[in-house]
Amino acid sequence: MISDTLFMMLFVGLFISFTILALFIWGAKTGQFDDSRKMMDGLLFDNEDDLNDAIKKENKIKEAKVKKKRTLDLE
Amino acid sequence: MLNITCKHCQISFDEKVMIKEKEELFFCCKGCQGIYHLLKDENLDSFYDKLGNKTLASAKTYSNDDLKEFDQKSFYDNYVKITSDGFESVNLIIEGIHCAACIWLNEKILLETQGIIEANINFTNNKAKIIFDKNEIELSEIINKIRSVGYNAYAFDSSLSSEKTLKAKKDYFIKMMIAVFSSVNIMMLGVAKYTGFFTGIHDDIKDMIHLAEFLLSTPVLFYCGAIFFKGAYYSLKNKIINMDFLVASGATLSYIYSLYILFGGAGESYFDSVTMIITFVLVGKYLEVIGKDSASDTLAKIKSKIPISATIIKNDVKTDVSIANIKVGDIIELKTGEKASVDGILLDYETCFDESSISGESNAINKIKNDFIYSSSVNLDKLIRYKASKTYEDSTLNSIVTLIEDSLSSKPKIEEKANEFSKIFSIIILSLSLITFCVWYFLGLDLGFSYENTSVFEKSFIVAISVIVIACPCALALATPMASLIGISLLAKKSLLFKEAKFLEVIAKADTIVIDKTGTLTKGILSVINYEIYNRDKIYMDLLYSLLNSSNHPISKAVKSKVTDLHKNLNNLDLKDIHTLQSKGMKANYSDHNITYNLFGGNEDLLIENNIVYSQKISNTLYVFCVNNKIIAKFELEDELKDNADSFVSYAKENNLDLIILSGDNEEAVKKISKQVNIEKYLFKVNPIEKADYISKLKNDGKKVIMIGDGINDSIALSRADVSISMGSGTDISILVSDVILLNNSLDSLKDTIYISKRTYSFIKQNLLISLVYNMITVPLAVFGLVIPLVAALSMSLSSLLVVLNSLRISQNKFK
Repeated sequence: MISDTLFMMLFVGLFISFTILALFIWGAKTGQFDDSRKMMDGLLFDNEDDLNDAIKKENKIKEAKVKKKRTLDLE
Repeated sequence: MLNITCKHCQISFDEKVMIKEKEELFFCCKGCQGIYHLLKDENLDSFYDKLGNKTLASAKTYSNDDLKEFDQKSFYDNYVKITSDGFESVNLIIEGIHCAACIWLNEKILLETQGIIEANINFTNNKAKIIFDKNEIELSEIINKIRSVGYNAYAFDSSLSSEKTLKAKKDYFIKMMIAVFSSVNIMMLGVAKYTGFFTGIHDDIKDMIHLAEFLLSTPVLFYCGAIFFKGAYYSLKNKIINMDFLVASGATLSYIYSLYILFGGAGESYFDSVTMIITFVLVGKYLEVIGKDSASDTLAKIKSKIPISATIIKNDVKTDVSIANIKVGDIIELKTGEKASVDGILLDYETCFDESSISGESNAINKIKNDFIYSSSVNLDKLIRYKASKTYEDSTLNSIVTLIEDSLSSKPKIEEKANEFSKIFSIIILSLSLITFCVWYFLGLDLGFSYENTSVFEKSFIVAISVIVIACPCALALATPMASLIGISLLAKKSLLFKEAKFLEVIAKADTIVIDKTGTLTKGILSVINYEIYNRDKIYMDLLYSLLNSSNHPISKAVKSKVTDLHKNLNNLDLKDIHTLQSKGMKANYSDHNITYNLFGGNEDLLIENNIVYSQKISNTLYVFCVNNKIIAKFELEDELKDNADSFVSYAKENNLDLIILSGDNEEAVKKISKQVNIEKYLFKVNPIEKADYISKLKNDGKKVIMIGDGINDSIALSRADVSISMGSGTDISILVSDVILLNNSLDSLKDTIYISKRTYSFIKQNLLISLVYNMITVPLAVFGLVIPLVAALSMSLSSLLVVLNSLRISQNKFK
């Protein structure tokens, strides 16, 4: 009985920590920790405007890519 | 006097000099004013909230004449790449970034510009990657945008290799994190397992722990440990056995044995040892690669300092050509502050040049018609024209860069003590383990080692494995990096930057120090050491201040700073007929209420020319200020020795280090300094290439050379020395080629560098000794099977711990 409970606890624990590790690796690979100074100082400016900016930025990239593709297709 | 802060840059100035605009709106200059309004108009004024009370540099205004350079095809070919989406991508270095608010502003203003798709600025190294659409915006407009808010940008060539090193570092980091994560978990499981060993444990729980350990250690061995397998493979290919081979074979054998235990064999598993070995050695390796800058990255940065084009004049038409296309005989126009890109002959009557890149001396040098102009020297005075006498390929600047390139790429690899040691160690341990196995298996040796139901093969195998595990190379692998890490962090606290840890060992072993004079032993700037003012009337002081203000000559600057120290509230008067008198001084006129003042300021020659008798004999540089042929004030200037130069020299001598001064200055000056600091050996009037050759000669004589310098003229010598140290105030190029940088420029830090390096090195040797002694005691025990596997695994951590604790002692020391 005890060993069953232990077994479950151990592997659930391992599963959770592996998930966190995987998230960390994803973060490191996508370059989120590349610029430590910017990351730390950036926290100071984290407000609504900046969130809006981030969305705007993403939309801009998307639009530009679509537009570029269209012009390339036309050629 | 009331000081008011500029609304934009937040630096305080006297109210009188500020530009006032409405109430409460003050600016220190037109540049700051312009930017303030621009930000206000574009709704970016939240920049100032983000800035807080930090200050910026006062905004510079840029001429923007050079902007078209950025749109030339040759520029695009060099720096602009096409992305997979068909956009253009360029890498820029942004100058003038102080804080996160600056990053925010630059990114924001770039992203709001039509045509720029992505702009990402790295705060740590100020590099920006900008993706834009050439059909919508030209590169010059982007640069202009950055300049409009008070920053400057120039392109750099992010060659693939630098991206590769970056990727390699990141790869190491991820591998290390996985290994550390698994080790921590395995250690926690280990607590249960080892407690169970003494208090009794159910077999099914033990199996469960083994299974969990297996899950955790497998990725560590095969993913994180891949570099060791690679290293082991190459070492076998080159027929040498190295540390990688020992780590790889030890870990793999332990892993295979543990698998056998997992599937029902008798004994203890070694999964924890496998993980710990890999983790410890990986951490050590990571510490070594972390600060490394690839040579190609350094070269890319050096090349970005070279002007890319020059203005040449043909039939009265100015054209910009890239420097590679300048032909001998071309007439080149050089503006004030511009760097000459090729060697040539001056066509104008006279001007001043800063030749510090050749001689290391920052005194402005007067050039008259037909004088030789070195490339890489900077025009200080006025717009001039000169005739190219060499192509860029043959010019001084290019030869300096090429020589640095050569010596950087051929910098010999330093064989570290720990590596030599580990090679022998690995071979001994591996063969011992093999011999042990053979002896136990074939001769049936059996000494007090008991596991029930084990065959002779199993027994022999367990003992052989325990030899490897107990001799685990962790302690050995950690001996150097651990001590270096503590040494380097200690140095960093004293603002000394080491680019790589191995230079600690090189400095500790060095026997010769070659030191540059100006800027290294001396402060490198002229300062007033003595002065007399005969008439302190306000009008005279104002006149002196105004005359000094109209010149950029280092002497004028030094005297000016003294005068402003002595007298506050000096006014800048409107002088007439200002003339620079070649290598003598300056003269000017001023009239006020019908009184005319004829003023001049300069050296003894100027006095003689004006028939003024001046009897005192002075060996230093002299600046005399006269009004209407009467001496008003005189100043003696000298390049002062840095503080504590004596104590550095005596420290070096105590430690049997040979000191040699190598200077581009004249004999008198070098002799004087060498006498003052008591250094017997000195060389004077040496050019950059002679300096480098001298270093090579010393090295050929078997000396281990430390070169200390600060200028471009020292760069080649720096890149050739065994280890090079440069002053933080030095030129970019000298910093780039140096291995160690003294951020505070003080000679005391130089002393610390040598002291801490020597101390760290002695601790590295101690650590190696500790792990050696440890192994000498435990390995024989393991060979005879007297160590049960559990103790072997535990003691592995103990030896590493010993090394770590010993290394911590480095920082426990009172510094003089």
